Amino acid sequence: MSNMNSTHRAARGNARRSVLVKVTALALAIATFASVPHDASADALSRRQAKRMYDRLTGTPPTPALLNDLETRVAQDKVSAALYMMDASDPRSSAFYSTTLKNFATPWTNRDRTVFAPLNDYTATVIGMVKDDLDFRGILSDDIVYIGQGITPAYSTTNNDHYVAMENNNADLRVVLQRTTQSSLNGLPPNATAGIITSRAAAEAFFIDGTNRAMFRFTLLNHLCHDMEQVHDTTRPPDRIRQDVTRSPGGDSSLFLNNCIGCHSGMDPMAQAFAYYDFDETQGRLVYTAGQVQPKYLINSDNFKPGYITTDDHWENRWRLSGKNTVLDWAGQDGTIRSGNGAKTLGEELAASGAFAQCQAEKVFRTVCFRSPSDQADRDQVTASANGFKSGGDLKRVFAETAAYCAGN
Amino acid sequence: MKRVFHSSVARLGLLALVAVVVLSGCGGGAATTTNPVTTPPTSGPTYTGPAPANADIQAFRINFWENVRGTNRCGNCHTAGGQMPNFARSDDVNMAYQQAVTVVNRENPSQSIIVAKVGGGHNCWLADAGACASIMTRWIQDWVGAAGTGGRQIELVEPTPKDPGSTRRLPATAPSAYFTDGSSRSVYTLVTTYCSDCHRSTAATKQSPFFAAADVQESYQNAMPKMNLDDPLNSRFVIRLGRESHNCWSDCTANAAEMQAAIQMLADSITPTQVDPNLITSKALTLFDGTVASGGNRYENNLIALYEFKSGQGTTAFDTSGVDPAADLTLSGDVTWVGGWGINIRSGKAQASTTASRKFQQMMTATGEYSIEAWVVPGNVTQEDARIISYSGSTSARNFTMGQTLYNYDFFNRSSVTGSNGTPQLSTADADERLQASLQHVVMTYDPVNGRRIYVNGEFTGDLDGAGGGTLGDWDNSFAFVLGNEVSNNRQWQGVIRLVAIHNRALTLQQIQQNFQAGVGEKFFMLFGVSHLINVPKAYVMFEASQYDSAGYLFTNPKFISLDASAMPGSIPLKGMRIGVNGAEPQVGQAYRLMDTVIADANYSAATGQTLSTVGTIIGLEQGPASDEFYLCFDVLGTRSNVCSTYAQAVPPTFVNVPRPSDIGFRTFDKINATMAAVTGVSPNTAGVKTTFTNIRQSLPAVDSIEAFLSSHQTAIAQLAIQYCDALVESGQAQAYFPGLQLNSAPSAVFNTNAGKDLLIDPLINNMIGSNVGSQPSAAELKNTYTPSNQATDGPTRPGLYALIDTLSACGGGACPAGRTKLIAKATCGAVLGSGAVLID
Repeated sequence: MSNMNSTHRAARGNARRSVLVKVTALALAIATFASVPHDASADALSRRQAKRMYDRLTGTPPTPALLNDLETRVAQDKVSAALYMMDASDPRSSAFYSTTLKNFATPWTNRDRTVFAPLNDYTATVIGMVKDDLDFRGILSDDIVYIGQGITPAYSTTNNDHYVAMENNNADLRVVLQRTTQSSLNGLPPNATAGIITSRAAAEAFFIDGTNRAMFRFTLLNHLCHDMEQVHDTTRPPDRIRQDVTRSPGGDSSLFLNNCIGCHSGMDPMAQAFAYYDFDETQGRLVYTAGQVQPKYLINSDNFKPGYITTDDHWENRWRLSGKNTVLDWAGQDGTIRSGNGAKTLGEELAASGAFAQCQAEKVFRTVCFRSPSDQADRDQVTASANGFKSGGDLKRVFAETAAYCAGN
Repeated sequence: MKRVFHSSVARLGLLALVAVVVLSGCGGGAATTTNPVTTPPTSGPTYTGPAPANADIQAFRINFWENVRGTNRCGNCHTAGGQMPNFARSDDVNMAYQQAVTVVNRENPSQSIIVAKVGGGHNCWLADAGACASIMTRWIQDWVGAAGTGGRQIELVEPTPKDPGSTRRLPATAPSAYFTDGSSRSVYTLVTTYCSDCHRSTAATKQSPFFAAADVQESYQNAMPKMNLDDPLNSRFVIRLGRESHNCWSDCTANAAEMQAAIQMLADSITPTQVDPNLITSKALTLFDGTVASGGNRYENNLIALYEFKSGQGTTAFDTSGVDPAADLTLSGDVTWVGGWGINIRSGKAQASTTASRKFQQMMTATGEYSIEAWVVPGNVTQEDARIISYSGSTSARNFTMGQTLYNYDFFNRSSVTGSNGTPQLSTADADERLQASLQHVVMTYDPVNGRRIYVNGEFTGDLDGAGGGTLGDWDNSFAFVLGNEVSNNRQWQGVIRLVAIHNRALTLQQIQQNFQAGVGEKFFMLFGVSHLINVPKAYVMFEASQYDSAGYLFTNPKFISLDASAMPGSIPLKGMRIGVNGAEPQVGQAYRLMDTVIADANYSAATGQTLSTVGTIIGLEQGPASDEFYLCFDVLGTRSNVCSTYAQAVPPTFVNVPRPSDIGFRTFDKINATMAAVTGVSPNTAGVKTTFTNIRQSLPAVDSIEAFLSSHQTAIAQLAIQYCDALVESGQAQAYFPGLQLNSAPSAVFNTNAGKDLLIDPLINNMIGSNVGSQPSAAELKNTYTPSNQATDGPTRPGLYALIDTLSACGGGACPAGRTKLIAKATCGAVLGSGAVLID
């Protein structure tokens, strides 16, 4: 009997769902076409702008009460109103951190650049630094990582479960994310930490296998908004190109002289900063071997025996020499090479560039305005925000200024 | 004038000077119509003279004399009573020896008079004089024991001082003087008139290079390396016609003179490139002005075939092993010669006759073991089941094969423990990715104990032969030896082969490493004179240089050295060294541009000099190794300083204004979820909602562009919207969300008036769409039917929410079932929540 009853209940349930689906389908068919002209005269401009700014910053519409509040604030000062919308001390800003910033950073954390990748320590650190109003230029060099307070399982250096749990439970990242140091969690010496470069997620994506050039390329792509093709410059001296790069691909050195050299001559001297890093697939964790060059830097050495042999993690930025890549606006640019040891100093070098500031402003513009800068006014806005970012690295303010610019009329 | 490095120089890593024939690099030889002689030397009479007087004469007899005394070689003339020196006399080996030592250089066999003689075309028994020179060198080496190690020396010869510049550079496109007749007929006219029967891609007997092409530019590109503008007399075109009498059209001397005049006319039209006299430059030289350093200490004691591809022209790749019969290869299809020795196989093969190939079967089965050695540059790492070197009859029958499958080398060998197709093959492990599209030294050995082994770049790959050893007694002697394809033409391999050596012994690891270290190709020590810049006599910056391939030169291991053994440098700062070519510094490949060092007594030794850098670089080829003139330029050298050249300045990017795309966009997946949760007040952690969102997350919009919105997105949105609305209506929050709405009453009681319907609609609009926002539709617009004034542009009439509720409440004219009001509430909620008014941002 109980089986029969449950069968009937299931049948009735199915029937109800079936009706519901049919009814909803009809309703949606109507609603999909329910776009009607808008009556712009019925409200104040600031109300419309307030809704759009909040929509764009948080990805969600404001409640009726909040909209009334925002309308007043927007009428007074749009940038201040935007900062109010992102105020991390108030729940109104939660979606900005849990949704907008998460989706903003997630594509940077994997090779496919997919936005569907799980939350991870890279993304959490980006969110946290903006939340806490930290200088975002430290994203590539600071000894920093954000973990979830009270989240089970706890942070692990060998898996991403901690962050997956946070995302699956729709944790309010505004509240749970807490700042700590990487060195206290993953055992790296503090001077070997380099912001998101030494995050577990970035290591898993870009230090895995290969030759660690991926870390340089993706950092450049995600944080200076330039892919290798755009910085291709064949005039750099090739003396630091490693042995694994064949100088005669398929027996034709003109390919090397016209193509390969253009990227490798600039990239290899800088990617040397990562010479002590690797991602251990078996353990699932970042590995750092101080003073010992990873074997991946020395593979395929017979491809060109007279090539460069990596002996340490000393990097050089040859793009500072007079040439096309000075447009990246290196800090204190004087036509001479800057160099250093390790990922941290390279991260500082990259993050101090004008291109880094410009890139952050452009990414924010695309996120908030739903389009790339299109005309001179757009570019002026991006440049103004980037210039502001250069002093203090306040990414939240870039969001605020951009939201104000794209509030619409 | 000469500085001699003794055996201690081996520590320098300098390669010993053996087996190199500079002349062969310039080509040479008789008319290409002559077929090469592949038969063994026709022996003189059986030797009945006195026995060799000592061990050296015995070695002379076995390795040299027996090879040359045949009547189809030197024994036709240099016999007793014949032409002197009669080193090929068959009556007395001891007397022949006395004559031979007068024409042989025991220290540098390649520099022997007899080698220079045959290399210059003197009665070479092959079609290519260079091949004869190589073979003659090898016989001498075998005689004097040059294949051993140590004891040999390198002589660095001071080049003639020459200032850089004043060279004429051929422009990239053909100048008019190339194809326009003037004081003499132009080069283009001459080659297209007299050479087009062969040197044209459409010729019946086509033969590269195609400088006789009808297309002027194609002709010019191919003719460039054959013309020496600074010394027309030494142009390859002129030499070929005059000295080598290659297919002259009337009188060779006159034809050569006319060609020289044509090149001179071209040269006169081109202004020489001058080097800025203020620059700090070394003396200049061409690659061939350097001291030959190639050929290294290869181990070749059991060689049975050797292909060095030195000819650089024609359709025959000669077997220069000196082991008869020579298994020369005929090139067919798209196979071209590579500068610096080699062939580039794109679509074709190089194959020996089955008759000549028989020696492989005979000599390898005799020993029961063998080695296939090659320097190759695979064209890519995507080709599969491709044959690099094969001795086979078809795709299903072979004796041995070296092949490529993606990143792996394959080794097929037919033996008593494998099939007639040499299977199962031994392949390098996938994970190792041993095969790279770069120059690699590959050796495959077989012996009855270990079976097959593969060595790449002097290293045993560790791949073990599961089949084990066996015997080679089943080998078929009717197969052909072939490079680059299967004999049946359906296993094409693409890439460059720079050397192939076949040995009838399994080389040891040590021997393989010796051959790997010896390298491949023609190497030179180039001495760039700098004595005029610093106060050190006979001071040079010395490079090891070679032609790397058809497009570039390799310069490596720069050293500072004085050929005056008593000289010391003192302290000489050196900064910013650049390599100049033909009067200008190439922008690309200047690996020493950032050099900053000091040449100091402490780091200098008279024997080894001072190493300036251990890295090498590639410099682009311009006119060819015979013509390209190199020099060095320094920013600082000693007390002098002057920056050679500066980098180009950056040009700020120019932006183009484009019309602004749509100002509005669509919420993306997480934003949709967050929005629905926010406007309904339902937690996204609610079971049904969470499950649905997880399932459809990647079906929701991933980008905010409204132009990327698809109908499939709307389907996913509908699923999520109805889950949220279901959770809302079924939750305890429903009454608070819809104040006054009796969800448990019948629709006829609840929705019988618009006021009743508003109890459902108004909360939805207020919370989800917003009120009094001009960018959103108003409540009235949503509730009532909208009829556009221009339906052609604005679409059809759209029923409003009132009409929707009426339709849903009708229940077919009868009484609605219980719970219908909730259903209507969920449906109306879903219609609003999933609508563009909520989700368009």
